[in-house]
Amino acid sequence: MNSPTENNAPCVPSERAGQCELDANLDVLRKIPVFSGIPLQRLKLYAYLCKRACYRAGEFIFRQGDADDRGYILLSGSAQVVREYENHSVYLNELRAGEFFGGVALLSDIRRLFSVRATTDVECLTLDRESFRKLLVQFPEVGVKVLDMMIKRIVQMEEKLMQKHVHECVYG
Amino acid sequence: MVTKKSLFSWVLECCRGLQFALFIMVLFTVFFRVFPLEMQKRIVNVAIQSRNLNALFVYCGLYIGAVVMAGVLKYFINVLQGYIGQKILYQMRTRIYAHILSLPLAFFRRTPPGMVISSLTSELSGPGDFLGSALAVPVINLLTLITFAGYMVYLNPLLAFLSFAIYPAEILIIPVLQRRYNRLNQERINVTRSMSNAIGEAISGMHEIHGNAGYPIENKKLDTFGSMLFGLRHRMNKNKYLVKFINNFFQSLGPFILFLLGGYLTIKGRLDLGALVAFLSAYEKLYDPWKELMDYYQDLQDSRVRYHQVMSYFDQAPEFLLEPEEPREPYRLQGKIQVSGLDYIVDGDIHILDQISLGLEPGRQLAVVGFSGSGKSTLAMVIGQLYSYSRGHVLFDGMELKQLTKLDVSYNVGYVAQHPFIFDDSILENILYACKSLQLNELLKDEPLPDLARILQVVDEVGLTDDILRFGLNTMLDINRHAALADRLVGVREEFYRQWGSELAEQIEFFDAERLLRNTNMAENITFGYPNRKVWELEQLPANKAFRQFLEETQLTQDLLGLGLELAKQTVSLLEDLQDDQFFFEMSPIPRHEFDLYSALIERLKKAGHQHLPKKELEAVLKLALRFTPSIHKMATLSSSLEHKIIRARHKFYQQMSERDPHAFTFYQPNRYLFTHTIMENILFGHPKADHPRAMEQVQERVVQLLDEQNLLDKVMEAGLAFQVGSKGDRLSGGQKQKIALARLFLKRPRILILDEATASLDNRSQARVQELLKTTLKGRATLIAVVHRLELVRDYDQIVLMKAGKIVEAGQYEELLARKGLFYELAHGE
Repeated sequence: MNSPTENNAPCVPSERAGQCELDANLDVLRKIPVFSGIPLQRLKLYAYLCKRACYRAGEFIFRQGDADDRGYILLSGSAQVVREYENHSVYLNELRAGEFFGGVALLSDIRRLFSVRATTDVECLTLDRESFRKLLVQFPEVGVKVLDMMIKRIVQMEEKLMQKHVHECVYG
Repeated sequence: MVTKKSLFSWVLECCRGLQFALFIMVLFTVFFRVFPLEMQKRIVNVAIQSRNLNALFVYCGLYIGAVVMAGVLKYFINVLQGYIGQKILYQMRTRIYAHILSLPLAFFRRTPPGMVISSLTSELSGPGDFLGSALAVPVINLLTLITFAGYMVYLNPLLAFLSFAIYPAEILIIPVLQRRYNRLNQERINVTRSMSNAIGEAISGMHEIHGNAGYPIENKKLDTFGSMLFGLRHRMNKNKYLVKFINNFFQSLGPFILFLLGGYLTIKGRLDLGALVAFLSAYEKLYDPWKELMDYYQDLQDSRVRYHQVMSYFDQAPEFLLEPEEPREPYRLQGKIQVSGLDYIVDGDIHILDQISLGLEPGRQLAVVGFSGSGKSTLAMVIGQLYSYSRGHVLFDGMELKQLTKLDVSYNVGYVAQHPFIFDDSILENILYACKSLQLNELLKDEPLPDLARILQVVDEVGLTDDILRFGLNTMLDINRHAALADRLVGVREEFYRQWGSELAEQIEFFDAERLLRNTNMAENITFGYPNRKVWELEQLPANKAFRQFLEETQLTQDLLGLGLELAKQTVSLLEDLQDDQFFFEMSPIPRHEFDLYSALIERLKKAGHQHLPKKELEAVLKLALRFTPSIHKMATLSSSLEHKIIRARHKFYQQMSERDPHAFTFYQPNRYLFTHTIMENILFGHPKADHPRAMEQVQERVVQLLDEQNLLDKVMEAGLAFQVGSKGDRLSGGQKQKIALARLFLKRPRILILDEATASLDNRSQARVQELLKTTLKGRATLIAVVHRLELVRDYDQIVLMKAGKIVEAGQYEELLARKGLFYELAHGE
């Protein structure tokens, strides 16, 4: 049978010459602060449970209000963080390759507070809540470290938000 | 009531004709048991002493005839007894189970399932076996005993009376011991029950035990019961063997007396030798019926204890009549509901519901809101006749709910709980559950079941269509039942390819003979088809000589062994510490149960190279390589040279097989339906790529659209309805379970609907959909009482009541309640 297209489509999991997907994932995770403190042997399991996902320019990776259960690392391309209101939406932030986002969903069953939309074709590494929790239970000593880093991240974000609030209160 | 029946009443009711036949047979056996004794005597006295050969042959012939007849009769008696016993057990189980099902919900809140299960299975089987022999055994043995005794008296009264003298002593001692045994046995049943409850609890709470490392606590719990059981059993055994000992002792006293006295009398010439031989035989034979009577006595006691223990446990009356006492059609209610002064009191004085009063005209809709623990759910359950009430009235069309039968209520009322129960069956069976159970009633058996169109309509109303479509598209068709559908789907495949083939090319991995398929394992990548013979199945391939020969010819063996070893090494090191959880094995080429095998293999490899692996292990390594599916198994990768080799081999394999055994495989060809693949994969003639989540949605949309155009959507929906949901609906999400429960309810079209947060787990869209349905289609057609958590959903209800601590504290319409600025207002703004 003939293939309908002869060449690779624009969004295809990146080629890894001779390297297996697990090792490639491992390289990515090691560069993310939340995971970089995990001993290599254990980090391999995170790499094992991660999945790749591709989105085309303009597609939503997740939407505000969704009960999405995954955390994401942007591998290539770029995406926008957007808060949606009834008639308009506010652009909050730009995500670039190597950034970890949406991680709160790994901790608890929440609804998304914002949307993320691919601005170019995008490849992500994703980890779902069940996998994350299973590993947490299996290796509590590692889990504590990861949780610690995750919570620090959340506090940082809250702090940013608070400052903005104060700002708004004083000047707005 | 069934729990009041005595143990023996079952015997008298069941299989009377057979029991009579049994009785006749028993009479005959008794005769055939005694007859050989008389023959023995005559053989000695008449035949041997008078040297009469003819007489010897005749008597011996009669002797063996009688013995054979006794044996044959015994066989039939045993079979009959077994039959009657099982029949009684069957009736007992069915009737007790029916009774248990009708018991009030409150009973099941405090009764662990393990208890009901062990009662109905193991505890009852003892009494069942016993009852089969309850009449025959005592009759046969008493009669035999009396006959033998009579015969002995006839031979020699003095000897006979002396040898009987021991029995009264036994009759005095044994019941005392037996009573002690009974007491212990009763205790044993209770302890066993508690132990099964403890085990049951531990198993259902396993995650908590693992989470808290509660192993010592649980071990200790079991240990308590275990050691109690040990002690009880030991004491029971001591008792039992004491009985045995006493019995044996008295039995052996008999021959002692006989030899002493009988010998004396024979020597003195007052008893002939033949009579002594017969006497000794008779005495020996006396032992059998006596022993059987003793066993019977013990069984009787044991069965009594078990039977009463089971019956007393379930000795409770159902709260409501299941069916009218005099057969009549169920009432057809208008749906008017009046509640006045309703109390629901538990544990003496806790008012879960306190003086509830409300009224609802037919077709009107009432929302019940309030804090958690305020009694909303209890109110819904009382009105749904799931709980009975202590004081006050609930009237349906002016009739007291307590007096209505379950049949009336289930015909007119539909109730959906927040966490509905889904049975381990197909979605279709679950949706039809309410309709089917009504139809099983004699009076309603002519009401037709809803047809497919109606089912699909309801499925759509509750927002289940997309889910069922997805299940349908993921179905594998059966070659024998769906051949016609399969043909039409191949047509859809062509159409799909024509319309969308190029547009969706990047989202689908087509079964393209010139490419390596990343979503398919290496075995299928080489054979490029699925086997129709067992020897060609993946698990058999490593041992399949022809296949191995093929691998050699195409020089794939070494490459695949290398791949297999790499997979084994990586996977073993990765999952070494995780063997207790199946979850981690879902993306592993080594299934959990084979892990130890590969782990040992790797261990051995470290010592010796893989050239020295024995045949079995080489095959295991090869198997791993053949299972390798690049998109799933991330721990290894294929070199591009191996990819090319495999594709070249694929063509050669096709050629070879077409020449040698063309029917061994169904090859991936565009004009063939692949019965080992899902409908979706067949239409795509490929795999949707898992790493394009949005694109997959798009692909599915197109496929559905196409199926719709070809009028095949209903067929796929039918396949989806046949989806097996797993135990307790495990394979469904919480939302899907609720949707199924709602569909079950709407199909029944009851006049009164009771929804207890029945849409709480639904996504926003489905929730809005159901809300719309209640607001438009059902409005006026059914009276609705809905317990609602989210206040924005209650706006359109005719009436809203707000509950707090078992009381209705506010009632009115939405705007009215808001304007009052009371609790409802607070609740609405506190969210």
